[in-house]
Amino acid sequence: MSFDLLLIVDSIPKMLVGIGLTFELLVISMVLGTALAITLLLMRISGRWYLVAPSVVYIYIFRGTPILVQIFIIYHGLPQFEFIRESIFWPILSEPYGCAIVALTLNNGAYVSEILRGGVLGVDRGLLEAGSALGLSVRQRFIHITTPIAVRLAIPAYSNDVVSLMKSTALASTITLLDMMGIARTIVAETYAPYEIFISLAVIYLVITWFIQKGFGLFEQRMSRYVRKEA
Amino acid sequence: MSENGTQPIIILENVDKFFGDFQALSNVSLTVDKGERVVVCGPSGSGKSTMIRCINRLEEHSSGKIIVDGNELTGNVKDIDAVRREVGMVFQSFNLFPHMSVVENLMLAPKLVRKTSKAEAREKAMRLLERVRIPEQADKYPSQISGGQQQRVAIARALCMNPEIMLFDEPTSALDPEMISEVLDVMVDLANEGMTMICVTHEMGFARSVANKVVFMDEGEIVEMNTPAEFFDHPKSNRTKEFLDQIIQH
Amino acid sequence: MSAVTGWWDDFFWGSVVVAEVFVVSLILMILFGLIGAAAKLSKNRAAQKIAGAYTIVFRGTPELLVLLLIYFGSAIFLTTVFQYFDPSVKFVDIPPFWAGSFGIALIVGSYATETFRGAFLGVDPGQIEAARALGISNLKTFIYVRIPAMWRLALPPFGNHMLSLIKDTALISIIGLNETLFAAEQATATTGKPFTMFIVVGGIYLAFSTVITLTVMVLEKYANRHLQVAR
Repeated sequence: MSFDLLLIVDSIPKMLVGIGLTFELLVISMVLGTALAITLLLMRISGRWYLVAPSVVYIYIFRGTPILVQIFIIYHGLPQFEFIRESIFWPILSEPYGCAIVALTLNNGAYVSEILRGGVLGVDRGLLEAGSALGLSVRQRFIHITTPIAVRLAIPAYSNDVVSLMKSTALASTITLLDMMGIARTIVAETYAPYEIFISLAVIYLVITWFIQKGFGLFEQRMSRYVRKEA
Repeated sequence: MSENGTQPIIILENVDKFFGDFQALSNVSLTVDKGERVVVCGPSGSGKSTMIRCINRLEEHSSGKIIVDGNELTGNVKDIDAVRREVGMVFQSFNLFPHMSVVENLMLAPKLVRKTSKAEAREKAMRLLERVRIPEQADKYPSQISGGQQQRVAIARALCMNPEIMLFDEPTSALDPEMISEVLDVMVDLANEGMTMICVTHEMGFARSVANKVVFMDEGEIVEMNTPAEFFDHPKSNRTKEFLDQIIQH
Repeated sequence: MSAVTGWWDDFFWGSVVVAEVFVVSLILMILFGLIGAAAKLSKNRAAQKIAGAYTIVFRGTPELLVLLLIYFGSAIFLTTVFQYFDPSVKFVDIPPFWAGSFGIALIVGSYATETFRGAFLGVDPGQIEAARALGISNLKTFIYVRIPAMWRLALPPFGNHMLSLIKDTALISIIGLNETLFAAEQATATTGKPFTMFIVVGGIYLAFSTVITLTVMVLEKYANRHLQVAR
């Protein structure tokens, strides 16, 4: 059993063709997911039960079930219903690409919402009291005091989440999408060379992870430049 | 009624405050006239911080009346906002906004609450920084200046809103000893300019020299209230005597 | 819902498989996590480097990729070896149950390594010093002072690791494990009601994660019972 280097050299470019799709899935889901997360967060901390309850239930369901199941429900499950097939969303939901984005967005939104909430909870209460004492309204305190500090606090967890999201994009291959993982699986099916293909694919993912972590690390450094590190 | 016949600027009448089952304030009644300097002292947990935090509604009193400059503190948001515009507060842990520079810390509230222009706010901020003697730190961040300087910035920040009353919640308790006097000096200046002040503190020297009235609290009640001279030299209650013995030792 | 009748059996046994995978992978995950943490905390440079590589590789690679690599990789290897001795052998694999449990334990174990390491370092050194100054032996200090403190710090992230394990079980269906998602796919083929079936799967996993979350909440309360602040 040999380690076929030629195969690796041949396959890497083929897999990299999928990198565009991988990134599209990653970036679009991240952006939409974060927007959803902010909405969920605002609902969660609004204090009004009719906003808090749906938000809590949504987060609970999407964090409590496997993302693969969520993908299957959206891609395989929704077409079961006629009203879906006839709705305006059908062009999106009939395509694996659309379904993957919807599923990743809905799932990621729940996780990021909790991460942002962690950041919000981490803001020192004394700072908010100072804002109150100065006469700032609830909205003003949230925008000028809570948000900048919460964002900085949330960066490490958020960057981990982006890495997780990138790993989840590989699941799009289970609904026929030809991202890097999808292409890799087809190559393996033809060549019976799981080691060469999957290991090189893993290396590609690791490189991407490295870039993501470095990027966020720099961002965090910049945001923290005036904060004294606790000894 | 104060000596010259006008209404006191702060009135607390039979105020109770409960945290669940725990009674933090018990039938507290106090009046403060404009220009008066009141020092509140007492052991930990006596309710002194709770009392002043009720005055600017950082805590909600459970029963009784609190009236600040004619505005009664109820659940009404407009009343609360009106009171907070008149009352400035300085905290034990400074609570400067870490993500803003010193001058930005001072400018934030005037811009947002009084809708002052950026230029005007900056000018006022610089003037106040000069008043607390640290104008050169304007563009530094809180993490880059000392504790004493941070607290002086906090005082300047509260003053930027032109308050009628200043509340101090143990302003020097978190400071290293060598920085206490720079902060007390600023507070003495303020007092001499006629600012109405309520100060929760353990600095008895400050109380003796600056206060008109010293209030001793224990277990949520006002035990004794008197002029500094009478308070320190002729304490009436035993609890007061015990407390004074404990702190004057060192 | 009537579509599901007749399939409850399969879903039930699928759930049993999920529980079995959970138990096996939990034990392995704790093992890998402790070994990894010990390696990272040791003075041995080689151990540190290997543990470092372990965490980097398994935190940056998609779970699906790891499972496919382990399963197909080992299958190719074993098949080749067995064919050497008996050419009539067609396919030898490690049963998906074991390959899958091992795989997800490796993955989540890499996160657990960091959790255990952080918990170990998070113990107040003052407590340890005090114990040693009182003459308590190294071993007793470790058992009676260090471990209880570590446990309290590690518990919340550890709860998340357990949730990850249970959700990753769904991925093992892709390499043929007959758990609930797998059963749902078969049910879909005959009943034509994919949504219903996958929702049932979602519900089953949600039930599992709820049980885990509640258990962790109870354990956290117990671990923190001495820290209730007296008002």
